[in-house]
Amino acid sequence: MLKTTISPIFSSFTCKPKTSRLIFRAFSKVVLQDTPPSARRNASTNLTTLHQGPPTSAYVHLPFCRKRCHYCDFPILALGTSSSSLTSSSNVYEEGKEDDPRITNYVNLLVREIQATRTDYDTNPNLETVFFGGGTPSLVPPKLVSLILETLSLNFGLSPDAEISMEMDPGTFDGQKLKELMKLGVNRVSLGVQAFQDELLKACGRAHGVSQVYEAIEFVKDCGVENWSMDLISSLPHQTLEMWEESLRLAIESQPNHVSVYDLQVEQGTKFGNLYTPGQSPLPSETQSAEFYKTASSMLRGAGYEHYEVSSYSKDGFKCKHNLIYWKNKPFYAFGLGSASYVGGLRFSRPRRLKEYTNYVADLENGTSNWCGNGDVDLKDVATDILMLSFRTSKGLELKEFGEAFGSEVVKSICKVYEPYVESGHIVCLDDMRSEVMSDEFKTLVANDEVKIEDHVRYLRLKDPDGFLLSNELISLAFGVVAP
Amino acid sequence: MAMASAMDLSPPTFFLSGTSTSSSSPSLRRLSSISVPGFRRHSYRKLQILCQATAGTEPQSGLSVSGSKLAARSGQDRLLKVPISNIRNFSIIAHIDHGKSTLADKLLQVTGTVQNRDMKEQFLDNMDLERERGITIKLQAARMRYVYEDTPYCLNLIDTPGHVDFSYEVSRSLAACEGALLVVDASQGVEAQTLANVYLALENNLEIIPVLNKIDLPGAEPEKVLREIEEVIGLDCSKAIFCSAKEGIGITEILDAIVQRIPAPLDTAGNPLRALIFDSYYDPYRGVIVYFRVIDGKVKKGDRIFFMASGKDYFADEVGVLSPNQIQVDELYAGEVGYIAASVRSVADARVGDTITHYSRKAESSLPGYEEATPMVFCGLFPVDADQFPDLRDALEKLQLNDAALKFEPETSSAMGFGFRCGFLGLLHMEIVQERLEREYNLNLITTAPSVVYRVNSVNGDTTLCSNPSRLPDPGQRKSVEEPYVKIELLTPKDYIGALMELAQERRGEFKEMKYIAENRASILYELPLAEMVGDFFDQLKSRTKGYASMEYSVIGYRESDLIKLDILINAEMVEPLSTIVHRDKAYSVGRALTQKLKELIPRQMFKVPIQACIGSKVIASEALSAIRKDVLAKCYGGDISRKKKLLKKQAAGKKRMKAIGRVDVPQEAFMAVLKLEREVL
Repeated sequence: MLKTTISPIFSSFTCKPKTSRLIFRAFSKVVLQDTPPSARRNASTNLTTLHQGPPTSAYVHLPFCRKRCHYCDFPILALGTSSSSLTSSSNVYEEGKEDDPRITNYVNLLVREIQATRTDYDTNPNLETVFFGGGTPSLVPPKLVSLILETLSLNFGLSPDAEISMEMDPGTFDGQKLKELMKLGVNRVSLGVQAFQDELLKACGRAHGVSQVYEAIEFVKDCGVENWSMDLISSLPHQTLEMWEESLRLAIESQPNHVSVYDLQVEQGTKFGNLYTPGQSPLPSETQSAEFYKTASSMLRGAGYEHYEVSSYSKDGFKCKHNLIYWKNKPFYAFGLGSASYVGGLRFSRPRRLKEYTNYVADLENGTSNWCGNGDVDLKDVATDILMLSFRTSKGLELKEFGEAFGSEVVKSICKVYEPYVESGHIVCLDDMRSEVMSDEFKTLVANDEVKIEDHVRYLRLKDPDGFLLSNELISLAFGVVAP
Repeated sequence: MAMASAMDLSPPTFFLSGTSTSSSSPSLRRLSSISVPGFRRHSYRKLQILCQATAGTEPQSGLSVSGSKLAARSGQDRLLKVPISNIRNFSIIAHIDHGKSTLADKLLQVTGTVQNRDMKEQFLDNMDLERERGITIKLQAARMRYVYEDTPYCLNLIDTPGHVDFSYEVSRSLAACEGALLVVDASQGVEAQTLANVYLALENNLEIIPVLNKIDLPGAEPEKVLREIEEVIGLDCSKAIFCSAKEGIGITEILDAIVQRIPAPLDTAGNPLRALIFDSYYDPYRGVIVYFRVIDGKVKKGDRIFFMASGKDYFADEVGVLSPNQIQVDELYAGEVGYIAASVRSVADARVGDTITHYSRKAESSLPGYEEATPMVFCGLFPVDADQFPDLRDALEKLQLNDAALKFEPETSSAMGFGFRCGFLGLLHMEIVQERLEREYNLNLITTAPSVVYRVNSVNGDTTLCSNPSRLPDPGQRKSVEEPYVKIELLTPKDYIGALMELAQERRGEFKEMKYIAENRASILYELPLAEMVGDFFDQLKSRTKGYASMEYSVIGYRESDLIKLDILINAEMVEPLSTIVHRDKAYSVGRALTQKLKELIPRQMFKVPIQACIGSKVIASEALSAIRKDVLAKCYGGDISRKKKLLKKQAAGKKRMKAIGRVDVPQEAFMAVLKLEREVL
């Protein structure tokens, strides 16, 4: 009986019956311990969502930049300004000019990686989302982007209405290039604006100015890209609240239907890391930073954007489908330098250095890489992943599913730990209809050992903005419960 | 002198005796400062093996040929009986570093009790140990044979612990002797600790032989030091011996003087047995090993013996002498010194000072001077990891087998969980126990600030003892609080008189007397609360006098003081382990220091956290921890959540190491640092 309930999940793992049994045991233990038969049936569906079918999303890393921004610690390859794919800002893309061999070589390598990526799934559903991230993907000539998309399509299948996003920086593309990319299927643009003040752009080492920002916005609009997002960074050095409000206002005026607001993180080893200490001048103080975050939340929400994730805002219907895959803890492929995939229950990061990445691709072709999990997962790991990802979203943590997967006691313990923060307003409880459960009622539920909280409180979410601002503190409390 | 000059050729040797396989604190022979740690049992065991290897070995170079042969023969005859009139029992009184261990080594060497070759090996071991632990380990007792004017004598050296925490044990060791060598460094002069022990010896009617050591050093001023001894102690120094233990000068003179001047024990071998225990330690294989001096009667292997204070009886499985390793003999009679192994289960059954008699022929009365151990200093010991509580209990029980003075009872605290309230003879004793628990039993402990025992007079007329600040009755219920006072004598070069008086005044000291014991050295007498010494007093004393001053204290009784309980509130929750009893005048400065330190040590929380020091409901010092405004909100770029997850895990692990005081997470380190601070500021 149990086996038939659970087995559909694993039907896809045909090639690894041994492992499947392992997972079966692990899950059956957790899921089936104290739950009534009805819950068991639900459990099977939950586990498919919690877990692993074949991925339908792919992240593609295109690491090229003109130069490294002062805050950036991503795996990138700086081309320098002499690169043939960049010329003057007015004519950045010249048809027929020879491509930079560094880009061509890299894309060839990338294509080899995609081709060598084989999974043992029975079914291979089409990719529903593809995300070109970087680096500055818009530096890559469209014909190479085309090659990548073709390879993806051949290897995995590409859904006709797939969301294909590309990060683009002002000054690295023009209308023509964008049109060409759109023809290839790119239908979502993420524009790296970061700030609307020349002095700030300069201070963080961006390769473009404000005028190129406006140009880029024009290109996007002229080409009729409906689904586009604008990236902004808060808490830059020398940034004032007035500047930040101006950036937000100008962003709203340019009417993207998605805005990503990133709070600057000073990373070790970056130029900023060497120059600045977080919270100290010229960086804004912690209090100012918090103020920036709150301002973004209130201004963007005031302008009709939904704050659906810690750093993401969208107009109705324009959430980034690709990123939602991440927040829902669903599997995804990743290709390219330093990229991280999540397939078969394994989170795998590729080498960040080109030479090692080249070796990795060779290993993959020889079948000696273990980039893909065998489905054998550590439950605590899954639980903590779900916690940290769910709480980043405004949807929050779905208690029922979580309880069915990991036990009602865990839900109870998390609620106990969170009780003071429900009371202090950092955490919001919602019922089935997503109306708020008041803290007094929550308290009573937590105190009552007879009650299964998830029958009354369906979701826990971090309050926007106070809870989001303290997300690490709050999520780590739940970590303490799940993986003590 | 011919022998002495021959000995110049031999390397300087020290001797470390390992007659004991244990190291219970009172039996621990240490002349070290307060900060020294305990030492491990295995070191001792190793030493014992070395000692046992001494029997029957040929002498090595060092002594002149005839001298060494003579000594060796004499040494090997040391188990032979001599008439009671030829027994001499003595101890050595000396300040740390004045050369007691060197002199003892030399006496053993010259009498052939220990061979040169072995001494060299032990010399190395000894130095390693000393280097590692900064302590000097002493032998407990040694039987030597010395031929004086063709008559063999049996000399028993009984060692004494050097620290005031163990003054009771010192007094029992001295009570087992008829005489003592007073060893004073000819360049340093008399120290406070020496004085205290000399007075104890005089109380026990011991014949005291003044010995000036290190006379070979360039800075030696023997005449001046002799005057000091005469003036301060009032001893006749006309027959004082000048020696250099290191160079072997004056050793035979000392041995001769022991025979000539120290009285023989009384011949009371026909009386019912009375033997005085001057040391005991627990051996895991043989039970408690008891060191004793037979005062009256005789004891032999197989006797059923009775401990008069504890009321326990056992069969003597093994009787022997210490020379310096344990050597079995058939019988010991009045005047002799030896050991008994009788499968005694705990040192509490055979405590220092107890009288051994025969079960079937009991002595009429026990020997005078027995005292119950009364702990003077208390502290709470809590395992950092709550899972270690049973381990801590086991470890304390094991230590107690060997240390009758150690007291403990379970204690629970809201912040620290389960632990024990432990009582100690003094600060050194406390540190030894803590150190041993951590080192030998691998326990990670939080120690609360040491506290003394307060006497609380309630309004209803009851008097209760309170050693735990968090248990102090409410002000409404108490009429007055009394605290133990000590009399403290400080000996110091006159340059530091001001600094020491300042220190004593800061510690609520009451000046009693000052006198010059020499032109350049003074003795200062203060009375001050024991609580003021429980802390860094000794460290301060040393640092403010560049190490030149020495001190000695004794408890003189209880006095009423204006004492109040100072509580620490974190986010309006009282933190019991941080409560302290302080004098009203000090409450403000202590409160301020504690709240400031806590503000530094407690990580900021998601809300503002007030940190307050209170007397009752009155807040006397207050700090506030501001709320965290914003976390690092890095995105999980490209779905790469690994770094973020690592960060969150680290944060969760950090929280786990904290104690929740209400809604506030307080790291263990904060407790430890604050408790340390308490010791400093109190």
